Amino acid sequence: MSLPRYVARRLGQSVFTLLGVVTITFLLVNAAPGDPVRIFIGPSADASAIAAMRAQFGLDQPIHIRYIKYLMNVVQGDLGQSINYRVPVTQKILERLPATLLLVASSFTFAIITAVPIGVLSAQRRNQLSDHVFRIFGLIGVSTPSFWIGLLLIIILTYHLGLLPATGLVMPWAPPSAVDHATTRLDVLYQSGIHLIMPTLTLGTLQMAAIMRIERSSMLEVLNQEYVSLARAFGVSERTILRKHAFRNAQLPVLTVIGLNLTTALGGSVLTETVFSINGIGTLIITGVNARDYPLVLGTTLFYASLFVIGVLITDILYAYLDPRISYGDES
Amino acid sequence: MSDTPLLKVENLKTQFFTEAGTVRAVDGVSFTVERGEIVGLVGESGAGKSVAVRSILRLIDSPGHIVGGEITFDGKTVVGFEDEPGTDGEPTRREEMLTNTEMRSQIRGSEIALIFQDPMESLNPVFTVGGQLRELIELNRGLSKQAARDRAIEILREVGIPQPAERFDDYPHQFSGGMRQRVLIAMALGCEPKLIVADEPTTALDVTVEGQILDLVYDLQDKYDASFLWVTHDMGIVAEICDRVNVMYLGEVVERASVDDLFYNPQHPYTEALLNSIPRPDQSTEDLQPLEGAMPEPINPPSGCRFHDRCPEAREVCQRTHPDLRTVTEAGQYAACLKHDAFEAAYETSRPLTDESPAAGGDRRE
Amino acid sequence: MYIVLFIIVVAIWAFVDGVVLDYYFAERFWYSPITAPPGSRGLLPPVGITNEYGTGTWAHPLGTDHRGRDILVRLVYGSRIAIQIGIVATGVGATLGTIIGAVSGYYGGWIDDVLQRTVETFYAIPFIVLMIAIMSAFGRGLWIAIVGVSVITTPIFARLIRSEVLSVREEEYIEAAKAAGVRDRNIIRRHVIPNSLAPVLVQATLQIGVNILIVAALSFLGFGAQPPTPSWGAMLAQSRTYMLPDPWFSVWPGLAILVTVVGFNLVGDGLRDAFDPRLND
Repeated sequence: MSLPRYVARRLGQSVFTLLGVVTITFLLVNAAPGDPVRIFIGPSADASAIAAMRAQFGLDQPIHIRYIKYLMNVVQGDLGQSINYRVPVTQKILERLPATLLLVASSFTFAIITAVPIGVLSAQRRNQLSDHVFRIFGLIGVSTPSFWIGLLLIIILTYHLGLLPATGLVMPWAPPSAVDHATTRLDVLYQSGIHLIMPTLTLGTLQMAAIMRIERSSMLEVLNQEYVSLARAFGVSERTILRKHAFRNAQLPVLTVIGLNLTTALGGSVLTETVFSINGIGTLIITGVNARDYPLVLGTTLFYASLFVIGVLITDILYAYLDPRISYGDES
Repeated sequence: MSDTPLLKVENLKTQFFTEAGTVRAVDGVSFTVERGEIVGLVGESGAGKSVAVRSILRLIDSPGHIVGGEITFDGKTVVGFEDEPGTDGEPTRREEMLTNTEMRSQIRGSEIALIFQDPMESLNPVFTVGGQLRELIELNRGLSKQAARDRAIEILREVGIPQPAERFDDYPHQFSGGMRQRVLIAMALGCEPKLIVADEPTTALDVTVEGQILDLVYDLQDKYDASFLWVTHDMGIVAEICDRVNVMYLGEVVERASVDDLFYNPQHPYTEALLNSIPRPDQSTEDLQPLEGAMPEPINPPSGCRFHDRCPEAREVCQRTHPDLRTVTEAGQYAACLKHDAFEAAYETSRPLTDESPAAGGDRRE
Repeated sequence: MYIVLFIIVVAIWAFVDGVVLDYYFAERFWYSPITAPPGSRGLLPPVGITNEYGTGTWAHPLGTDHRGRDILVRLVYGSRIAIQIGIVATGVGATLGTIIGAVSGYYGGWIDDVLQRTVETFYAIPFIVLMIAIMSAFGRGLWIAIVGVSVITTPIFARLIRSEVLSVREEEYIEAAKAAGVRDRNIIRRHVIPNSLAPVLVQATLQIGVNILIVAALSFLGFGAQPPTPSWGAMLAQSRTYMLPDPWFSVWPGLAILVTVVGFNLVGDGLRDAFDPRLND
């Protein structure tokens, strides 16, 4: 099966997953007690105003009608109106998206470029001192609440050393006029960098530790394979064995873990955004829940799920690229 | 050329230091391979054959260590220790012993190549067959990438891969087991080593494929003028391709002979037992005399002759005296069995250790 | 190495929780964890130090919080909540997931399809987001959190068991049992599930740690146990206001989470090594 057809089929499967996500969240959100309109307008509002607003958001209709209507709209890319912000949910999401994407991308980049070499090194030096140090670090890394790392970083780097700003993100492509302490593009990049360091560490440490652990065990497993012995017996240097003969094979389980960790990372972005007061999708969903802004909660949840589905699709394609035994046809 | 053998292994000892104790996997093994010769190394699984041949390439992983003996290959000292151990009690390497880097760059692949046993696991699944072959040829023959590729295709043709240029870019999973074994052979031949060590390369294959592979090796040996050290547990293969044979039992060589002498005039009871356990068309299965019992663990070998507790000809003296390998016939056949006059062990007057004998009770392993 | 580390962790834990604290409580306050009247747990400022705010002293080794409550006392109460949620939610999730996974893997067909799509759906929503959605619908609080975490734990085990069952199903003794006319339900109960238990046990131990982290995160966001219940995550959230004057207030609850989760991860890793010694040291 060719790559485009494979992608098309996987996308087709994803539709079912997303349909499930819509259904579950729709049911959940509608099971919620509390009336969004009342919360929005306030307790003193009169009955006719409430009725008018209910009609405006379609809340006066029975739930199955609303569900079908909502689905029809979603298919057309319309996630409805936010009750709280009084703008389309999609607009709000797109507005907040860059910050979240920047955060997730930068923490994953950080995690991968540090964890992969460390995991390989750890496997190569199995049971030596450095391996033990890395393993303990990995264990602590997967056991630490990410938001706590954020708090500690703020205490040390902001409050005590005064090195880094503790709130907000600066987009590297923002116009200099819109950024504090910036007059040139370079200033913007600098500001963007120093704002990004702590959130990246906060969100990235868990991913890094998880990838490191799987990289090590996967590498150890591959180094025990007969084809590695063969390379050794034919005079291939340890360095080449590590970098060529074993590395690629060892990345297959790593890739799977990275794909699955994408949900953890997206979830973690909610916490990281809260700790650093970043206006991303994570803080958006919390606002939505607190205001009982159903369309907003539904829309952001769906959006998170879509990000995940896309991420898994990308890792699957990479997997098939790395492992020739997988043809695009029989991945199930 | 010279009189010295291509490969000379003397009193090789390789041990594994495990929690359960020291495993003497190879315990004082000696043999030689002359130029242009196919030498067999035969024995049951667990006899230490694989450890012995991997010791020749110094490919023993921890907790295993080569602790004694001498291996010379083509004038180079692969393994050699000083007579006196160092201050820490560990054997001291002799100065002329090759370093690990020299082993890698001068011996492995380029001078001694190993044909691996398992065609399914020995090729890397994520690289193309041709690419893997090309890399090894490039590395060990010092060819350019393109020249190595041409050579790889040529050698694939020689080992009987149809349409080698087209199949060059296929992955291992697209090859059958027999085809993969041919690729493993091509890897060894393509590096044009002086010695090819075959570690049971046909064990995992169908009998028909095995026959084809053996024919192929026989033809190619002539063409490339390589020497072979062929490890197997299959006496049939020995008869088919070997010139000389070493029979191993529990870490030791117990008999060494030319193929004809070995088959027609075996001098060690273990060799006899191996030959008697081969099914033959002119005999019914009742005539087979399979070896009783299993080979003991090398971690705790029996006293005296290591074979005595399974040996039909064992006598009391065999429990006490450990025989070394000696010339026992005028034809120059070697065996390590006390029944031969060369040992002067009073075998004839010793009491037999058969099940009927009163001695065959608890004192078998003193 | 891991085993030694684990024993040290457990020993310290038992010592702190069991011996020192009862003494510590009984000496200094009018209640101990055992004698405290229901509803008062962690609620009242311990007698004598109301509104006295500050860092560590002999009477309050880890200091007191913004309302004068002893941080150590609250941490210990918090540990009970965290471990309770971790174990109960994981237990419920693992049990449900095992049943669903076993049925799905054993029967295959449309049952499998429906269950697998459902499981995938739950996988696709980040845990935290799903929990937030659940709690926004059903309210905030400890028990809702337990139910929510059970719900998100279930698919993990369903998927694990299903793949185990798929491999066990092909075994010959299952064929033999089928041929002998053993009923499906009994085959699953007597053969399939016991054979898949080792990975479940390992996963469950690791999952307790993960669930403790998730609950802490939810409490941090304000969705977990509601104040004044002393949950670790909520304590961290409260500490944010006081990070500048009293940084240690932010340190202790996080450290408590870390140590607890490390403990469960050590056991999980140890169990895995015991069941699968291939990669053992």
